[in-house]
Amino acid sequence: MARGKDKKKRKLEKKQEGDDVPKKVPHTLESLREKDETMLVNADEEEQEEAQKDMELDELSSYYQNSYEPKVLITFSDNPHSKTRIFGKELTRIIPNSISRYRQRSSVKRIIQSAIREDVTDVIIVNENQKQPNGFLLIHLPDGPTAHFRLSSCKITPELRKDHKEITTHRPEVILNNFSTRLGLTVGRMLGALFHYEPQFRGRRAVTFHNQRDYIFFRHHRYEFTKDGKRAKLLELGPRFTLKLISLQQGTFDSKRGDYEWIIAGRRHQLETSRRKFFL
Amino acid sequence: MMLTQDKAIDLFVATKIGSFKHIKYHSDATKNSKKCIENLVDIKSLQKDDGITCMAWGNPQQTEILVAKKNQEIQVYDTEQGFTKTYTADFGTGHVVGLGRYKRRLIAALSGGVVKVWSKKQEQLIEVGKIDRMRMCPDDNTLFATGGEENDLKVYRIGEPEPTFTAKNLPHDWLQLRRPIWVTDLTFLPNEGGHLLAACSRHGYVRLYDTRAQRRPVCNVEFTMAATCIAPSFDERQVLVGFGRGQLHQVDLRIGRPDKGYKGSAGAITDVVAVPVGQDGRLVVSTSLDRQIRVHQYESKELLYKQYLTSKLTSVLVQTESSTPLRSAPDVKEEADALAVEADAVAVEDDMDELFDNMETVSEKPRKKPSELAEEDQKAKRAKTEGSTDEDAIFHLLRSTEKQKRKREKKKKEKKAKSVFHNA
Repeated sequence: MARGKDKKKRKLEKKQEGDDVPKKVPHTLESLREKDETMLVNADEEEQEEAQKDMELDELSSYYQNSYEPKVLITFSDNPHSKTRIFGKELTRIIPNSISRYRQRSSVKRIIQSAIREDVTDVIIVNENQKQPNGFLLIHLPDGPTAHFRLSSCKITPELRKDHKEITTHRPEVILNNFSTRLGLTVGRMLGALFHYEPQFRGRRAVTFHNQRDYIFFRHHRYEFTKDGKRAKLLELGPRFTLKLISLQQGTFDSKRGDYEWIIAGRRHQLETSRRKFFL
Repeated sequence: MMLTQDKAIDLFVATKIGSFKHIKYHSDATKNSKKCIENLVDIKSLQKDDGITCMAWGNPQQTEILVAKKNQEIQVYDTEQGFTKTYTADFGTGHVVGLGRYKRRLIAALSGGVVKVWSKKQEQLIEVGKIDRMRMCPDDNTLFATGGEENDLKVYRIGEPEPTFTAKNLPHDWLQLRRPIWVTDLTFLPNEGGHLLAACSRHGYVRLYDTRAQRRPVCNVEFTMAATCIAPSFDERQVLVGFGRGQLHQVDLRIGRPDKGYKGSAGAITDVVAVPVGQDGRLVVSTSLDRQIRVHQYESKELLYKQYLTSKLTSVLVQTESSTPLRSAPDVKEEADALAVEADAVAVEDDMDELFDNMETVSEKPRKKPSELAEEDQKAKRAKTEGSTDEDAIFHLLRSTEKQKRKREKKKKEKKAKSVFHNA
């Protein structure tokens, strides 16, 4: 009652105050996020230094020193249906220097062996269930790490009423958004290491991995700056999909005997203590 | 209880990037802070091959730590003086997987399968085959044991090239298939004279060997997850086992099944130690790949302490015999601390006096004469009858009927479960 009554009054007050009053941040799950001790922002200087060193010395560091061009192999679970196949093909259009191959009933470990022999730097395996792609396994070679994602709400270009011919062969720019914890950084670095380190800005293609509440949203756009150069118009090219981390493993794929860096299976109630706690 | 005094334990933690940390853990949870952690290695100078692969105590007084790095370098760290000596273990391939001391000799094992014993005059090399872990026996330090992938447990005596004990695999399974072997970690059980060993495996088994009895394991416990580390627990024939999927269990090898589980880790357990504190305090310290160190209460399995240490942890050592002061703590502050501690102690004593003064003496009641007791009883009864109103009675009645109801329901359920029709 009281709220409705003085609504007008408050509006008036707002008008009188003018524009110099800073806008209030709305309370959302994200803005009220629980403080995570592994976030780099919260760490003191010594810790930041150590985290930097940790990243400098990890398995992905050689990519970030631009020492090699990534080469990606995309494959599926056995007998993929058309949607998954098209999805894989579209991934090859997005990721430069990548090939899509059928699995031919080979095991993941053997795929890894032959991929290392062929100097492939990353392997993506898309799993399918009920004709829908539902799993996304990302393996960095030659010695890990391995990330397993759940893949959901996948829309391929025909479903978005787009044409794949819109997608050019230029190397895209990669935007990694909102990966803040130590685990998130590792995952973001893994995703970033799929793409060539030098984008071709001529193509004006941008690939976005946006993390929001532990869901990683993938979008693919072509952008065009307006004439005043302040804003960019976006044209979505597709596909789009969402990833959610299930586990991160040290070393290459070995689900039975491997060492996990982070795994949520079996301890969801221990880890997800509150709705405002996020891991990435 | 407030009466328990604060005790500090020194934890030494090694990480995958090569940093080496000293943590002072206080059993009083309020005193644990980031100030209790210090780096013993300069982080800026770390290189790619500086990761620490193995760590062990160099002497029984626990003032000397042997630290092995990925580049086959072995450093001796004195808890008071810092790093003192450096050896290079370039006698084979692989990284160092086991360290130890026998008298003044240094023993190191490489994963390529060579164990070397350094002494002043001569050096001795023992070929053991590819191994994942070598450990010295704490009771009889002429003994060491090795194990690895497809290389079952072997016990050697220093000076002898042949093993004194080689384990034998279990018989083939019911499909007549050979059981695979992969020893990831092993331990001598303490106070058994080096006769009892426990080994864990990536294939998910924990086995107990008795070198006096037979070559096959005396006890075999199967799991579905890969075990990564093992350590003796507090009671005899009990071990703590950490797993690659983040579980930490105590396994009782007398009855042959897991006993307790310690929760909280999201990544693989890399090392675990059971630590006795004081007279009856028992702690379980574990490090894991999710970059956290955790301390659990042994009995209640409660998580007491957890700390994020920025890089992946590989091993932990706990100093129980002696203690090391933090380097960064200035002397003045320490003195102040000491004073504070004294003051605290006095305060505690005062508290105790107060407590005891305030305590009801238990023995008073029985001392009362029976006549008095009877009187009191009567009084109480009277009070009850007077105080109890109708409401109380109703409440009691309700409660009892509820109980009966529940009982009836339970019986019904049991009947239902037994009945043929329901099952059919």
